[in-house]
Amino acid sequence: MASVVRAFRPVVEQEKCIQCGNCQTYCPEGTVMLENGETVVFDYRYCQGCGVCANECPVDAIEMVREVAA
Amino acid sequence: MTENLFDEYYEKSLMQGGTTCCPGCGGPLFWRMALQALGPKTVIYGDGPCAMCAIRNIKLPHFNLHFSFVADASSGMAAAYRAKGIEGLTLVSSAGDGATGDISFGKVSAAAERNENMLQICVDNEAYMNTGIQKSGLTPFGAWTTTTPLGKEALKKEIPLIIAQHNVPYVATVSVAYPRDLVAKIKKAKDIEGFKYIHTVMPCPTGWRFNPAKSVEVVRLGVETWTWPLYEIEGGVLKLNVKPKQKPIEDYLKTQNRFRHMTEDQIKYVQDNINAKRERLLENDGKRVIL
Amino acid sequence: MSFTRMMDGNEAAAYGAMLSRAEVVPAYPITPQTELISRIATLISEGKMKAEYIKVEGEHTAMAAACGASAAGARVFTATASQGMAHMEEALWMPPGMRLPIVMCMVNRAMAPLGGLRPDHNDSLMQRDNGWIQLYCENSQEVLDTVIMAYKIAEDKDIYLPVAPCYDGYFVSATAMPTTIPDQAEVDEFLPPYKHEMYSLLPWDYRRPARSTNAAKSRYEVQQAHDRAKDVIEEVDKEYGTRFGRSYDGLLEEYACDDVDAVLMTMGSMTGTVRDKIDEMQAEDNRIGLIKLRGFRPFPSEELRELAKKYQAIAVVDRNNSYGSAGGGVVSMEVARALYTLDDKPLLLNFHVGLSGSDVTMRQVGYMAEKTLEAVSKGKVDEVVDWVELHDLGEVL
Ligand code: SF4
Ligand code: SF4
Ligand code: SF4
Repeated sequence: MASVVRAFRPVVEQEKCIQCGNCQTYCPEGTVMLENGETVVFDYRYCQGCGVCANECPVDAIEMVREVAA
Repeated sequence: MTENLFDEYYEKSLMQGGTTCCPGCGGPLFWRMALQALGPKTVIYGDGPCAMCAIRNIKLPHFNLHFSFVADASSGMAAAYRAKGIEGLTLVSSAGDGATGDISFGKVSAAAERNENMLQICVDNEAYMNTGIQKSGLTPFGAWTTTTPLGKEALKKEIPLIIAQHNVPYVATVSVAYPRDLVAKIKKAKDIEGFKYIHTVMPCPTGWRFNPAKSVEVVRLGVETWTWPLYEIEGGVLKLNVKPKQKPIEDYLKTQNRFRHMTEDQIKYVQDNINAKRERLLENDGKRVIL
Repeated sequence: MSFTRMMDGNEAAAYGAMLSRAEVVPAYPITPQTELISRIATLISEGKMKAEYIKVEGEHTAMAAACGASAAGARVFTATASQGMAHMEEALWMPPGMRLPIVMCMVNRAMAPLGGLRPDHNDSLMQRDNGWIQLYCENSQEVLDTVIMAYKIAEDKDIYLPVAPCYDGYFVSATAMPTTIPDQAEVDEFLPPYKHEMYSLLPWDYRRPARSTNAAKSRYEVQQAHDRAKDVIEEVDKEYGTRFGRSYDGLLEEYACDDVDAVLMTMGSMTGTVRDKIDEMQAEDNRIGLIKLRGFRPFPSEELRELAKKYQAIAVVDRNNSYGSAGGGVVSMEVARALYTLDDKPLLLNFHVGLSGSDVTMRQVGYMAEKTLEAVSKGKVDEVVDWVELHDLGEVL
């Protein structure tokens, strides 16, 4: 599959999250989910860094953080 | 750990993560939702969105010829399954807006007329995106593309309503901003025998010129401004599935730079058109609309 | 039980498809193929043929549907002609590259605007580069037999290429002659049910051929399949002969070629007229024979090179023309390339005749034969490309 070049990565602030599931529903790549319906986890192998999850989060629990070159 | 979790999820969702689509592309999002409804006993023919960037990741049998071949090889597949007595399959036939509405419009119309047993899906990103954003018959009025540098001069073709007039059993419009509606409609279509047509809007940050993060927000505004009404026509009867309080068209247009150059007069023209269409839709809600 | 009755080429093709148990027939009508597909519709409606007939809205869709059906596991038959074939062009490239063994009759008819409803070969010859096997038939019997053989060739797992039995509209399609229809059980024995090893489009059994990332390699594989097809066509023809008592000498037939100095080379229905004229001329001690080219794709270069050594002149009779070409008709250019590597080359003449479906007359054949023998005696060719119909040969016979 495609190797992803990403300017930003989504990072969750778990305390803010209200487990609504929007991020999972609307992620185009299917690379975010609520593990056990609780913890928000990302698949950084394939996440495109589009920011849809952050935009659709009703409580701004997801922040897009600039990737730093490894 | 997390990776295993995701690999299991991709397996179950019938779609591998990591497409070659642009970030924020509505294509993979549409297919992931659609696959929830379609399930594993599905065969997919065709392409859409651009360059099969999403379809390539689907873990189902797939057959494809080329861009200009819509609803045709799938008619052959349907015939082969019939000839071989194969049952319990959902045959999906997919194409973009230009293929469906322009170059292969006659093919879609003919497959509808023959009432081929397939679910025809139009994945509509409102221009030829794979070739680099050129106007199609489904590009909306006013939209910039590389072949309409001053904005498109004509209105968008109303393909779903035209297909409905073929007297097919089921026609519906959907949007990724309304996942429950989308999934329910595809589930319904799947269980109907004959030609079903689903027209989905597909946000394209690259071609519509907006920040990819806004992908779902933009098409949600499409529904809320009545640019993209969600309806179904089943057995000839129209049903509006959501009737949001109407927002002004500027709310939608201003989210996308493809509309940036539009004059006040042009915006008014679009608004008038939407108002008239909204009225007719509301008037006919629950009524038979096949003449 | 086999039986014989009067039948034209279109009906013969329909019987060929029925006996081959074609399962899906996507088709669109065009003169002169129309009688063929309506005959199939009738056979299906009478319950004599069990097939799904897709009444498509154009030839582009006909071939696309054929591809879908073939990949999804059904044996497919269709037919087209002329403008329809040109309309189908984009789709015609699919089955060879995808290795789909579709059989489609190309019922030859001249192209507009300078053609009418009658045949020449420009329509099918225009398809020479896209990978279809093309076998040209002379009469109804050959059409029927070739359709059945076509499936056996196409579905050979070393080939997996589409095959087009080609025959002239009107002269073959609509001309009835006694035709023997073989017994279904014997055809079944000759042609087992269709099973494509590379394809299955089912969720519980999904297979598609892997494509090389090197496009040249994939193309070369199709080329190799064509090379192998030369042998397979010969073998299938022989087996057919053993089982049914009729065979056609594979890719090319030599007719009355013992002890001759020169040959005319023909394709399609005009061959019958040429046979008659050759008989007549040989009775008057003219040393000229006939080569009937049956397989245009794959082109029998090696075989032709072998034969050519025996003759001092070969005259290719082209029922087609190629505007602005290197010289002459499409077949003559193929022949020239095939013979180029010979040290001792025969003289090569080229005649254009029968264009846009005009009759190829005995007198014209006589003219071509005489010109060819004249070249032999002079040891040189005066007019390399000769448009026969531009000459006033007197009363047409
Ligand atoms: S940034 Fe985009 S791709 Fe990544 S998890 Fe969020 S929505 Fe999915
Ligand atoms: S969208 Fe926001 S609140 Fe909802 S589950 Fe995701 S992170 Fe939590
Ligand atoms: S150009 Fe548009 S449709 Fe194509 S992949 Fe990018 S976002 Fe998707």
